[in-house]
Amino acid sequence: MSTQVPMSRSTVRTSKLVDLTEAMDVVCDGQLLVLGGLWFHNNPSALAREIVRRRIQNLRIIAAPPSGYAVDLLIGGGCVAEATIGHVSFEHMGLAPNFQRAAQTGAVKIIDADEATILGGFMATLEHLQDHPVTSVRGTDIMSSPIARRNSDGVVAPRAVVPDVCLLHAQEADIYGNVRNFGNSFADPLFAKAARHVIVSVDRIVENSEVRKEPHRTTIPGYLVDRIVCAPGGAHPGSSQGLYPHDETAIKAYIKAGQDPRSWEADYLEPLVHAPGTHEDYLAAIGGWEHLVALNEVVK
Amino acid sequence: MSGYSIGELMVVLIARELRDGDLAVTGASSLVPVAACMLAQSMHAPNLTMISPAGVVNARPPRLYHSASDGRWCFNAEAINTGYDLFEMSENGLLDVMFYGGVQIDRRGNINLTGVGYDEHGRPKFRGPGLANTSFAVVSGRIILFSATHTKRTFVEKLDFLSAAGHLDGPGARRANGIETEGPVCCVTPKVVFEFDEEKNLQVRSLHPGVSQDDVMANTGFELACDGPWPSTIEPTEEELTVLRTQVDVSGELAP
Repeated sequence: MSTQVPMSRSTVRTSKLVDLTEAMDVVCDGQLLVLGGLWFHNNPSALAREIVRRRIQNLRIIAAPPSGYAVDLLIGGGCVAEATIGHVSFEHMGLAPNFQRAAQTGAVKIIDADEATILGGFMATLEHLQDHPVTSVRGTDIMSSPIARRNSDGVVAPRAVVPDVCLLHAQEADIYGNVRNFGNSFADPLFAKAARHVIVSVDRIVENSEVRKEPHRTTIPGYLVDRIVCAPGGAHPGSSQGLYPHDETAIKAYIKAGQDPRSWEADYLEPLVHAPGTHEDYLAAIGGWEHLVALNEVVK
Repeated sequence: MSGYSIGELMVVLIARELRDGDLAVTGASSLVPVAACMLAQSMHAPNLTMISPAGVVNARPPRLYHSASDGRWCFNAEAINTGYDLFEMSENGLLDVMFYGGVQIDRRGNINLTGVGYDEHGRPKFRGPGLANTSFAVVSGRIILFSATHTKRTFVEKLDFLSAAGHLDGPGARRANGIETEGPVCCVTPKVVFEFDEEKNLQVRSLHPGVSQDDVMANTGFELACDGPWPSTIEPTEEELTVLRTQVDVSGELAP
């Protein structure tokens, strides 16, 4: 069980580079976490696995409107009490098994949302408002979800969302936390702006001089980032867009294991989360960086 | 013309619904509508703009990828939007076309991707993936529905959860809810093309080759008008299939 470390939310320019385990010391029971990426792409997978390893509980999570692996893993790891969800799936490969079971048994409280109601809550925080009107859920049953509270004008207006911790994965950053996405940064920059503490895992660290050569490629500037973790393959089994695609064989095995609580424990949680005690061990267990790069040739 | 897959047929039928100059947005698991947009771009709608659910504008990769948000769609695209742009589009968008599939689609073209069979505690018997882009059903000029399956489980009289607005309770209901756009205009399935009658009920526009009327009736959960034989779907032309296979789906992801 971790103990709460005071959160910095420091805008001071300094090296943010720390080990994964040190970075994750800020995460503790009961916090509100926001998870970046989109579907199973650019997921903070290595960071999420460390949360499961530490058996952190009662988290409230909110994720990118379309989400995937990190959400399902945290639910399957028993870490989540409440999840605000637009969409969770592995797209053409199948539904998210732990999310689906938890929703069906009621083990996790699911708050049905959509893109506009999720992003509206973040927009409110960015604009320093208490809530943000969203007019586009008219006529639907999302109107009855707790996220669709009404403002004084009777308009749906999700409350400002201020996550305790934001977990992201990107392709590269310098030690000052200047982050670069090669593919879709999607909602990650919004999440980084709204959260109290931002942790970004990256596949590689680049020199500050490299960042300066092409400053327009920085998707999240360093002053928004509290911790940078170098975790090559940290998005696996999802993709790290531009470096390696998602691992369909690994995701299909994940979905299969997740069909039943016993196979989930025996075929996934134990061998692929708890047994590899570190991210380096995990990367070795799945075949190393070479395996990830080779996926470019095989994943359709 | 023979020797095409159901997927290829659906791509061609959806492509014919698209117009030059359309601003179209696609959703999850949307290989068929994405290929349809690209086929339309290569044929009659060179100035159609396609935005992926990941915010990639006018992707033109060397092949199709199964995941709508695969990072490789970014290659050769015209722009890459962020989540902020999608929020702006959700509330303020000037979109012409949105595509939806559903765990359930009712006779009014309403969509459920959230859950089926809720008990008194609000727990679903079957939990679906959920719908991220509800709002595009409001801000898109027209909606094209599609479904990879055509069964009574998919095409139902009434939804268990309304994730995105079709024609709601019927004629005038969208307007009564403050929705100005047209809503669903058709639905392409492996058996038929549906369109809406004046009462905003799904009715068969055309029946695909090799499918019987009885088969469709038996696999649709709401009543279908049947005054005589339904028209036959116009099959893909040689040109449509050639362009699809040589310019869009080069690696044959949808091929028979």
